[in-house]
Amino acid sequence: MAETTIETFRCMMCGHEYQEPVVKCEDKERSCPKCRSNSIRHLKKRVTKED
Amino acid sequence: MVRPDEFQMGLSSRKAIYIQFPQAVPCSYILNMDDCLGNNPIACGKCADACDKRAINYDDRDQIITREVGAVVVAIGLDVYDPTELDEYGYTRFENVISSMEFERLICAGGPTGGHFVRPSDQERPTRIGFIQCVGSRNPKVGRPYCSNICCMNTIKDTLLLADHYPDVANVVFYQDIRAVGKSFEDMFQRSKEAGTRYVRGLPGEIEEDPETRNLVVTVENTTSGKLERHELEMVVLSVGVQPAKDMSRIASMLTLSRTSDGFFMESHPKLKPVDAPTRGVFLAGFCESPKDIKDSVCQAGAAASRAGALLNAGQITIEAITSRVDEVACTRCGVCAKVCPYGAIVWKKGEVASVVEAACAGCGSCSASCQFGAITMRHFTDEQILAQVHAVLAEDPQDKVFAFACNWCSYAGGDMAGISRMTYPASNRVVRTMCSARVSEEMVLEAFRCGAPVVLVSGCHFADCHYINANRQTVQRVHKLWDKLEKAGVRPERLQLEWISAAEGQKFAKVMRQLEELRGTVTRDEIEHAREALKAKPGKRPGVRAAEPVVEAPAAQT
Repeated sequence: MAETTIETFRCMMCGHEYQEPVVKCEDKERSCPKCRSNSIRHLKKRVTKED
Repeated sequence: MVRPDEFQMGLSSRKAIYIQFPQAVPCSYILNMDDCLGNNPIACGKCADACDKRAINYDDRDQIITREVGAVVVAIGLDVYDPTELDEYGYTRFENVISSMEFERLICAGGPTGGHFVRPSDQERPTRIGFIQCVGSRNPKVGRPYCSNICCMNTIKDTLLLADHYPDVANVVFYQDIRAVGKSFEDMFQRSKEAGTRYVRGLPGEIEEDPETRNLVVTVENTTSGKLERHELEMVVLSVGVQPAKDMSRIASMLTLSRTSDGFFMESHPKLKPVDAPTRGVFLAGFCESPKDIKDSVCQAGAAASRAGALLNAGQITIEAITSRVDEVACTRCGVCAKVCPYGAIVWKKGEVASVVEAACAGCGSCSASCQFGAITMRHFTDEQILAQVHAVLAEDPQDKVFAFACNWCSYAGGDMAGISRMTYPASNRVVRTMCSARVSEEMVLEAFRCGAPVVLVSGCHFADCHYINANRQTVQRVHKLWDKLEKAGVRPERLQLEWISAAEGQKFAKVMRQLEELRGTVTRDEIEHAREALKAKPGKRPGVRAAEPVVEAPAAQT
């Protein structure tokens, strides 16, 4: 089974932010669940260094 | 050595040496080395003793044979859906629930019972048989939303066979829709009904087994009458759908083929090139392209063979002039172009200059847009040509314009569709055409902002429609990079938009243009000026691309 993670996306058209399960290496066309725009930005998690 | 016979769906057995199936061509025995007790040293050797022609060669080994060919026809067939995951039908729990493939073997004269139709639990002939349609088809829950195309007619054929062989058998077919599309298919359907088969519209929710009689009780809501029905049947046949063959991913990566969301291979064009793969010289036939029956498979195979023959006999091939070209001096031997080429048309070895196989290049331009050094360019869609269009479009009143890059095949045609359908949308948009959205480089988008564009749109084909296998996935990556870059430069990233618009989506094109016009209204002059300054080109960053030249107006003709 491919690894699945919950990722955050932001619609660059309407600003709607949402989370969606993402399967590693999946090839999926994304659209905003609110306005159907394809301008979907994948908000990557910021890695913080721990001392 | 006795093993379940795969061809007979495990309903009978075979030896380690066997003929795969009676109609096999060539009809000769194969020795399955996975089942053989061993040939080095020979553990049994009985097959060699029994063969008076001395045809058994234990020294034979699997070989990888390399052939140079001019065309490849892909006809790798299909896999049948395995219904074990659908617990409600009890395929793994009840012996008398069988798949349509098992039914096929049971009723076949060459099958394990010699054509005597019996049920597995008691080897008695059943008199009440139920068929459940769409098992693993038209079911998004199991990841197969598509119609398998063949199951309806297969069941109708089975009911006619049963009615012919055993007139006392009562058949019930549970269905969602009967799709009898094809020559004489409707006639077959009517004959099946006239032969006494009852068709119940509705798929069973549950099957239970009577532990004493081993009969099966099927509960179904008849959606025609709206009533809940219970049917006691002696055997249930699950009409299983089909799915892409398991080796498709491997073949797809070997031949750089693209696949639809259903997993089947995608044709070059659904109407004009239905048997051509997007990769030149590769043709598709049969199930690997989409579910189809034997007649359609034969038609497609004939067409694929003809296309391949035409290609091989042509002697020379004609290619579009819009292929890529490498500037050997500027090439830094990094190999990025070879990595992004969806067709594998760029030959590159570590430390060597890349070169383009022009016969394989389809002209998407993704290599050209990815090269940081301007060392590879696409003929007739060069950086200079596209940037010149950007400059020309934004030469006057750029703040009033929505600038769009549209791919030739889908988005640009979507704009055409909006136009010929007389859809209204703001007149502020200016569209520059590229062959693929992957041709749009970061530099082109940034240049549009530098020239004062308030909003820039990059639009291409939907993922499943990409005319260059999967080149538009690079567009997504590039736009993401640009969003990061714009944000870093203090420019609102929302000013860059990405949309997938197909040739038929004129309405979407118009809607997007209206939305972009609204967005344009929110961009202030200060923001435009800030973007001009913040995104200024760094000299020498991309030596292959000449720095944007200021637009010089031609002197007015003297009179």
